[in-house]
Amino acid sequence: MNANTQESHAPLAGRYFDGHSSRLYHVTLSVRDGVAMLAGDIERSCPLGELHVSERSSHAVRKVSFPDGAYLEIADQAAFNNVLHDTGHRDGWVVRLQQSWRGALLATVATVLALWLSYQYLLPLVAKGLAYAIPQSVERQLGQGVLDFLDGHVFEASKLAGTRQQALRNQFARLATPGDSTLEHRIVFRKSKIGPNAFALPSGDIVLTDEMVELMPDDDAIMGVLAHELGHLQQRHLTRRIIQTSAVGAGAALLFGDVSTVVATVPPLLLDLKYSRDVERDADDYAIAMLRQNGIALEHLAQVFVALGKLDQGTPYLSSHPASTERIARIRAAQR
Amino acid sequence: MDFDTNNTMPKREAITFSATGSEYFRIWIVNLLLSIVTLGIYSAWAKVRRNRYFYSSTHLAGSSFEYHGNAVAILKGRIAAVVLIGGYNIALRVSPIVGLLMFVLLAAILPWLVWKSLQFKLYNTSYRGIRFGFGGSAKEAYKYFLWLPILNTFTLGLMTPFLHQRLKRFQHTQSRFGTSQFSFDATVGSFYKTYLLFFALLLGGLLVLIFVVFGSVFASFAAHANDATKVGSLMFAIGALYLWAFTVLPLFLTMIQNLIWNHTRLQQHQFQSQLTWGRTTFIMLTNLLGVVVTLGLFAPFAHVRWLKYRLEATSMLVHGSLDEFVAATGQQVSATGEGMADLLDFDLSM
Repeated sequence: MNANTQESHAPLAGRYFDGHSSRLYHVTLSVRDGVAMLAGDIERSCPLGELHVSERSSHAVRKVSFPDGAYLEIADQAAFNNVLHDTGHRDGWVVRLQQSWRGALLATVATVLALWLSYQYLLPLVAKGLAYAIPQSVERQLGQGVLDFLDGHVFEASKLAGTRQQALRNQFARLATPGDSTLEHRIVFRKSKIGPNAFALPSGDIVLTDEMVELMPDDDAIMGVLAHELGHLQQRHLTRRIIQTSAVGAGAALLFGDVSTVVATVPPLLLDLKYSRDVERDADDYAIAMLRQNGIALEHLAQVFVALGKLDQGTPYLSSHPASTERIARIRAAQR
Repeated sequence: MDFDTNNTMPKREAITFSATGSEYFRIWIVNLLLSIVTLGIYSAWAKVRRNRYFYSSTHLAGSSFEYHGNAVAILKGRIAAVVLIGGYNIALRVSPIVGLLMFVLLAAILPWLVWKSLQFKLYNTSYRGIRFGFGGSAKEAYKYFLWLPILNTFTLGLMTPFLHQRLKRFQHTQSRFGTSQFSFDATVGSFYKTYLLFFALLLGGLLVLIFVVFGSVFASFAAHANDATKVGSLMFAIGALYLWAFTVLPLFLTMIQNLIWNHTRLQQHQFQSQLTWGRTTFIMLTNLLGVVVTLGLFAPFAHVRWLKYRLEATSMLVHGSLDEFVAATGQQVSATGEGMADLLDFDLSM
């Protein structure tokens, strides 16, 4: 520490508190030979090395704390900064970053970039890793009860003949699947109040509605639908999505939660849409691979989306699924 | 020195808050970045930085406050919180029974954690070199944070104002500054009056909205107007509902905060809180708008604005001198103090 230059500073006015009572002592601070000296209502000296100086800021009062809990408040920031500078005190890099606008701008850009990168790459990667690490039995339990709930509220027993159901199941079971292992799964048929639909639950159930079966032009198209849903299961899409939405939700609550909970619920909702479109594409790719492996023309799969596309009355503004035309184009491109 | 405090006129000392949005923005963005890249670990240090800045920007009678919170203790509290909340959410998904068990576990330890968190917060705040403190027993914490709330659910929430009064009374009478206790004398009746006034206004406004605004929605549906008109009138009605909610909520905040602080004393010194409905509403609405429009970048400015208004509406009527408070014994011995070492902060806010 530089001990020779301090004589040039005029003593600084300060307010001293001894840590035992709330009494205010008016004092002056001067620094000589590496020792801080107080004079005025109280006299005290202390080596600089034992003092602690609070972080620099332009609007908060700076404090010098003594080892016994006493402390000194100094109002004249500029003069105090000079003294600190001359005694060799240096702010930490975080404080320097916080005090400069360039640093703040840099931090803003880096923050936006970090948020975007983790949303785009890190989070899906972590969610994937976690989803595959979760034991099958736990994942099964995630989906348990969902089908029971739906049976109670949305579904009725299927009107399809049992022989027809079994024939479709057998036809799908005969198909080879991409990859070395196939998840245990169960195909269930239901009549629904919500029209043509097919989805896979983490419990391993692939639900196919009667309306969906009727909508499909031929049985190979139905195989295409089932392959797509098996793709969801195989790639643990639902579990991954649950992990991702929880993480985005927690992040948004931390970022915006202080201001308004209403605002905090919007970003997760919007951000989830991108993930779900990615997931549909992944499942389409799985279906393409599976049909190809079994020598079924991809056109059958394309016909699934042609049929579904006809159902769409007008395009919804924010959609969770890619547009049918886009998916058909992708499948036909894979055909070539 | 004048010791005859009863005969002197009280001196009014207003709280001033010197933090600015632009300076806090720089602190906030650097903290945010470091918190993100360290996967949240730095957030404990960020909280210490933020609190230190805010506390030393808060002045009363020429002296500022100081925050002494220890980042490692905060980090421990946060890890506990994340494990508990995360565990509860996962348990609930795995099976309702495991979820219920986890819920019972949470209910059993949450009051204790809230109590520790209150102690942490006050013990780590000082003014004029003297630390605040929070007493109370674990038994009382369980009474006010667990048993009474459970009881309240059986009364369909009719006990809420009573519960609110008891909670604030517990909080304010168990707080001390050095060796001086705070006191609290707002009655249960005044809490019921505030809640009733709020609900009367809320309901009155809702009735008006239903008759005037939703009337026009029904009219547009009944007249088989085109879809755009229907959607438009419905959006307008929902917007009006939100606007009303955001206008009435600040009223409640204003009334309750004024009620609580106008009945709190530190020995003979009386607190005063003079928030107004109009200003509170204006600040909250413009803050919300600012945050939405700037995609969150306005958040630190909004925070400072709101804090500044709330703090500067508070003042202290000083009877005599603020020089006579004495630090609690035991605290002088060491900065951490025996028995304070196991404190952890449970507060999750950034």
